[in-house]
Amino acid sequence: MAIFNLKKREIECKIVYYGPGRGGKTTNLEYLFKAYKKQVTGEMVSINTEGDRTLFFDFLPIGLGKIRGCDVRVQLYTVPGQVKYSSTRKLVLRGVDGVVFVADSLDVRREKNMLSLQDLQKNLKEYGKSIFKTPLVLQYNKRDLADDGIPLMSIEQMNKDLNRQLKVPSFPGSAVKGNGVGATLKECLKQTLKSLQKEFKWAQ
Amino acid sequence: MNSSAKNVLTGDLKYLGLGDILQLIGANGSTGVLKLSCRFAPHPALLYFKDGNPVDARCGDLGGLDALYPLFGWTEGAFEFTQEAVHGQKVINKSRMGIILEGLKLKDDGKIEIIGPDSLLGVAKTTGFSGEEIPLVKGPLVDYMYVVDEEDFFDGEHIVEEGRHGNWMWVILEGVVEIAKETSAGTLPILRLGSGCFVGSLATFLVHGNIRAASVVAVGNVQLGVLDSQRLAQEYAGLPREFRHLLVSLDRRLKATTARVIATRTGKQLISPDLDAMTPFLPQRDAAEEILHVIHSGEVWVHRERPKPLTLARLGKGDYVGHLPFLHLRQEPEFAAVYADAELVTESVPVAPLKEAYEGMSSTFKNIVDNAAACVSVTTELLSAVSEQKGTLTTN
Repeated sequence: MAIFNLKKREIECKIVYYGPGRGGKTTNLEYLFKAYKKQVTGEMVSINTEGDRTLFFDFLPIGLGKIRGCDVRVQLYTVPGQVKYSSTRKLVLRGVDGVVFVADSLDVRREKNMLSLQDLQKNLKEYGKSIFKTPLVLQYNKRDLADDGIPLMSIEQMNKDLNRQLKVPSFPGSAVKGNGVGATLKECLKQTLKSLQKEFKWAQ
Repeated sequence: MNSSAKNVLTGDLKYLGLGDILQLIGANGSTGVLKLSCRFAPHPALLYFKDGNPVDARCGDLGGLDALYPLFGWTEGAFEFTQEAVHGQKVINKSRMGIILEGLKLKDDGKIEIIGPDSLLGVAKTTGFSGEEIPLVKGPLVDYMYVVDEEDFFDGEHIVEEGRHGNWMWVILEGVVEIAKETSAGTLPILRLGSGCFVGSLATFLVHGNIRAASVVAVGNVQLGVLDSQRLAQEYAGLPREFRHLLVSLDRRLKATTARVIATRTGKQLISPDLDAMTPFLPQRDAAEEILHVIHSGEVWVHRERPKPLTLARLGKGDYVGHLPFLHLRQEPEFAAVYADAELVTESVPVAPLKEAYEGMSSTFKNIVDNAAACVSVTTELLSAVSEQKGTLTTN
C-alpha cells in the first residue's frame, strides 16, 4: 500500500526483490544502485543476513511523471530467504506494491525456484495479499552462464514452471552484466503504478 | 520535557511495531521524543528524533544503539510521540532504515530478548456462503516436479465418475472443476475446485481399487496434471503410521460432512444424536491447545453449538478428534463440540511427532493434505449455509 506523504508531496511505494538464495536479487539491486546512481537518494543499507544479504535503498524513477502533482519515490528491498527472518520479511512485505521475482536459470536450481515462488505466495497471503493480484514481474537471471557451457533451463521451460498460472511479464537477465535489470524494474514500476492507479482511481 | 511539548501520536506496539513507527516518524520528518513502555520491561525507553532520524535512545542505564536495538523485541506495550525540540548530541549515526533492518535481523537471529506474552494464535479464515452458491476452493501454486503427464478436458466432460474404480490423482493446472454427488434427486453439485487443487481424495492412494466417492466434471475447458502416483505412494508409505491413520480419518470426516450436505439438500431425514443422553467429550471453545484423541471403540458426534446448533459429522473407531495446528477444519474445538456415547474408549495421541511428519512432507504432499482440510472446512460452512436455508436445524 503506497504511502502519501503530503508534507513532501510524494507518493512512496515499495518494490521487493524476491527469489531463491544466491539467485541474484542483491546483484540486481547492486547493479541498479551503481548504474542509476543519480536516481538514488541516500545510501544503500546492507545487512548481513544468513545465506544472503538484505539490501535497501530509495530510488527516484525518471520519466514516470508526477501523479496528481506528487513525485513518486520507490523503496527497493531484497528479502532474506531464510525462514527465520520472519520479522524482516514482515516489515518488508507488508504494504508491498510490486514484486520482482528473480529466478535462477541454472538447471540444478529448478526446484529451488518453484519452492521460493510458493514461499512468496504463502508470505504474501500471510499479509493479506494474493500473488495473483500483486503486481509481479519475473526475471530469469544468469542467462550469461550459457556462454560458459553451464546447463541452463530454457526460457520456455521456466515460463512453464513458474509463469503458467501467474501469466505475468518475464525477462531474461544477467544481473552481473546488467542485462535485463533495468527492463525488469521498469516493467515492475509500470505494473505497480497501473495497479495503484486502478486501486485509487487516479487515472486522469 | 518542556511546556511546548505536544503529544501527537500514541498507540499500541502490538498493532504498530517499532519498525513501522520509525518509518512513520521518518516519513514525516518529525523532531521529538518517542516513549515506549511495556509492563514486561523494567524501564520505559526514550528515543530522540531530529528531522525524522533517531539521534539517541535511553533505556535504563543503556544509551544509543545499545538501548535502541533491544526495543525491537518488545511485542507488547504502549508508545507515544511528543513533538518537541531535541537538544543534545547526535549519538546514533546509522541510517533509519539501516537501524530497522538490523534490529529486525537481530530479533530474528535470536540475539534480542522477546519481551511480552507469547501470542502466536492463528486466525481462522472465514468464508461466507449465500446458500445456493457453489463455493470455489482455490489451490496453491502447482509443484510441477510431481506432474508426469497432462490431460485436457472440455467443458462438461466427466473426469471422474462416482462409483467407478480409480486410483489416479490429478492437480488442476488451469480451469475449474465441479465435484458433484449422484442423488435420488439427480446430480447435485457440492464444490468447485480451482487451479492448484487436487482431483481424487486422499483415499486414492491409501486404498487399492478405490471407489470414487463423487463425480468430477469440467467447468469450461480444463487442463489437469497427472501426479506421479508412485512417488506419492512411496512418500505416503514412508510417513509414520499414526499420521497415515490421521489422513484416512480426515478423508472419512470429509465424506461424513459431505453426506450431511447432500441429505440436507435433498430433504432426507438426518440421523441426529440425542445429545442429552451423551456426555460432552470436548467442549466448543475458542483458545484451544493442541490435543488429539484416537477413538478405539464407541462413537462421537461433532456438533456445533454456536452460533446455531448443527451436527457436522459422526465419527467412530479409528477416527481422530481434537485440534491440530496445521489442519484448519472449522470443526472442533473452535467451531464445534464433541459428544461421546456410553461405549467411547479413546487414547490421547502425542501431537509433536505428527507436526514433525507434516513439516517434513514434500510441498505437493503438504498441498494435498491442506487441500483436503480446506475441503472439510468449506464443506462444513456449506452445510451450515444449506441448513440455515432449509430451516432444518438438526437438533430435535
